[in-house]
Amino acid sequence: MNDSFRSQNKPALLKVQNLTIELTTRLGTAPVIDDVSFELHEGETLCFVGESGCGKSMTALALMGLLPEKVSRIASGSIEFNGVDVTQASADFLNQLRGNELSMIFQEPMTSLNPVFTVGEQIAEVLRHHQGVDKSTGVKLATQLLDQVKIPEAHRRVHSFPHELSGGQRQRVMIAMALACQPKLLIADEPTTALDVTVQAQIFDLLDELQKEHNTAIMLITHDMGVVAEMAERMVVMYAGRKIEEGPVDEVLQQPAHPYTRGLIACVPHLQAFMHEERVPLLEVPGVVPSLNQFGGNQCLFADRCDQVNERCLNNRPENKYTNQRSVACWYPTAEGVFL
Amino acid sequence: MNTPLLSVENLKVRFPVKRGLPWKAAQYVHAVDDVSFDIQRGETLGLVGESGSGKTTTALAVAKLINSWEGVVKLNGTDFFSLDKESLRLERANIQFIFQDPYSSLNPRLTAERIVSEPLRQLKNLSKKELAESVDDIFDAVGLRPEQKKLFPHQFSGGQRQRIGIARAIISKPQLVICDEPVSALDVAVQAQILNLLRDLQKRFNLTYLFISHDLGVVQHMCDRIAVMYMGKIVEFSNRMELFNSPQHPYTQALLSAVPSVDRKRRERVQRIVLSGDPPDPLNPVPGCHFAARCPSVDESIGCLKKFPPLDTVSESHQVACYRFKR
Ligand SMILES: Nc1ncnc2c1ncn2[C@@H]1O[C@H](COP(=O)(O)OP(=O)(O)OP(=O)(O)O)[C@@H](O)[C@H]1O
Ligand SMILES: Nc1ncnc2c1ncn2[C@@H]1O[C@H](COP(=O)(O)OP(=O)(O)OP(=O)(O)O)[C@@H](O)[C@H]1O
Ligand code: SF4
Ligand SMILES: [Mg+2]
Ligand SMILES: [Mg+2]
Repeated sequence: MNDSFRSQNKPALLKVQNLTIELTTRLGTAPVIDDVSFELHEGETLCFVGESGCGKSMTALALMGLLPEKVSRIASGSIEFNGVDVTQASADFLNQLRGNELSMIFQEPMTSLNPVFTVGEQIAEVLRHHQGVDKSTGVKLATQLLDQVKIPEAHRRVHSFPHELSGGQRQRVMIAMALACQPKLLIADEPTTALDVTVQAQIFDLLDELQKEHNTAIMLITHDMGVVAEMAERMVVMYAGRKIEEGPVDEVLQQPAHPYTRGLIACVPHLQAFMHEERVPLLEVPGVVPSLNQFGGNQCLFADRCDQVNERCLNNRPENKYTNQRSVACWYPTAEGVFL
Repeated sequence: MNTPLLSVENLKVRFPVKRGLPWKAAQYVHAVDDVSFDIQRGETLGLVGESGSGKTTTALAVAKLINSWEGVVKLNGTDFFSLDKESLRLERANIQFIFQDPYSSLNPRLTAERIVSEPLRQLKNLSKKELAESVDDIFDAVGLRPEQKKLFPHQFSGGQRQRIGIARAIISKPQLVICDEPVSALDVAVQAQILNLLRDLQKRFNLTYLFISHDLGVVQHMCDRIAVMYMGKIVEFSNRMELFNSPQHPYTQALLSAVPSVDRKRRERVQRIVLSGDPPDPLNPVPGCHFAARCPSVDESIGCLKKFPPLDTVSESHQVACYRFKR
């Protein structure tokens, strides 16, 4: 049966079903993405959260058809984009999809920009490749795009090399590039982690604006629950390659069902509406994320860090339970009334 | 009032840069530009501000790990910069660092035990037994197991490596511990473990911290007083409650408003102020307030473009450098 939520009125733009991706390392082969299902609709923002190494970037790369070659493969499941299963699509088709309907912004803009070309040339190249625009028109359009992402003096900056721009400006160039072809789905993998919060606020504002204008769907990867709260309607929490919780952001933040989600929210000293004199110690989630060779075990992979662990957790993998817009993979979920 | 543990007066640090034409006069980055503050024993002073605002440079200059251009730094009332080499070496041992990157700040060829004991070996002639006892105590205090003493840095996780860094920093009972982004490289769950540890150790050993972070949630949790830096200047200085509940400087207000929060009440209460433009070129500082080019309340008629505003008193423990404040 379909593990994901029943579609709403409109069919989902993106529908991932029971996706499993195997990764082979020195230590053997393990499911780096383990039976993950989710949907994303037009104009919606979905956040992926979880600690380092939980498989967030891998999920994004799988959607883009950019999984590391040789070491990884799609073992099972499907990724339907606009009704077409991209796991079965030809390389040509994927190439056409990327940059046109599907774009990605990476964490470190410097690694994805070419240092020897001006940013204008690079944006023009994207336009040429995907829309057959000639070079001089391309540069003209590039200037407009830079202006749209609020780079000051775009007509001058279009001739700058990446290293001549600040980190925030480079990230805005990446966004301009990702938006050059007005994608239906934009994947942003920690697009602001290297930036100051004031610059982060500018970038998020920009994403918001562009989404409203073009009804773009956004998949935003982050490790900051504050970002989730501000940016997304729905969220997916990943742990050791598995989707361990999903639901509307407000509900999950108020009543997290999985002990890991609860830990992720409570272990961070968040800014509150009013600060108090008293400071209580932060809730600790002991231990660390298991290493890749432990992924895939028939147990709850959070068990050794969990304060509710029980026999059953150690011997059986918890299934994803679904109720009314929410999902959790835990034998003893905590959100009262939601999963009982 | 009793002498503060550390007092910094009019500290300036400049870095020469080669840029432009060779026959032009040398240019300098004014990385720290006339900064003054005190730290009392047992407290945590926070330094916040955006990347490049001069936080690390301030800390390095305080520990005399880089030369300053001007200014006085006193530890326990004695002028740090006037000491001869040997006294400086001993005094400097009173200031220890915890760095951001637990990967690169530990020598990969030394065992954890050896790394942690290094500051003690440099400082005094301890017997093998005394040394071993100190190491055991400190391993216990930072939550490392005795059998981990013989392991090398690559055999530890990020959080454990940061524990080694902390053990090394506090084993010699320094008077001041400078923490420069001590948890930024760590996952949130491990971050909580380390932040709790730092606060525990502070209570236990009456440690004094200079705590640098760009994460305002972390700063709010860790610091008693906070200095907000912008382009080498302190623009606001305040105790924790006042800074977070009623920030006065337009930059601090924008900074705090930009922090995404899980607290819905906060999101409703705090109006996001999005700054336009980029920070100015540190090589060509403007004559007036450094923040003027991005400031939503800039006003030429009150002097914003003429001279950097002096620190004004908001309350007994709260100062702000902004012309708008008195208006
Ligand atoms: N090219 C690769 N070759 C081998 N292993 C890889 C490769 N890319 C990722 N991995 C491993 O796959 C697992 C999941 O990685 P992934 O990058 O998806 O994590 P993530 O959730 O994005 O983490 P982060 O928050 O650090 O970005 C990790 O254990 C990682 O070490
Ligand atoms: N060794 C150096 N030579 C030249 N310029 C330097 C040097 N170290 C720092 N700077 C410059 O001095 C200014 C202050 O840098 P500093 O590292 O103190 O900032 P910071 O506040 O610690 O930033 P971050 O949050 O990025 O760590 C910056 O403009 C930086 O480029
Ligand atoms: S002094 Fe003027 S420019 Fe500077 S922060 Fe205050 S109002 Fe803004
Ligand atoms: Mg990643
Ligand atoms: Mg620094």
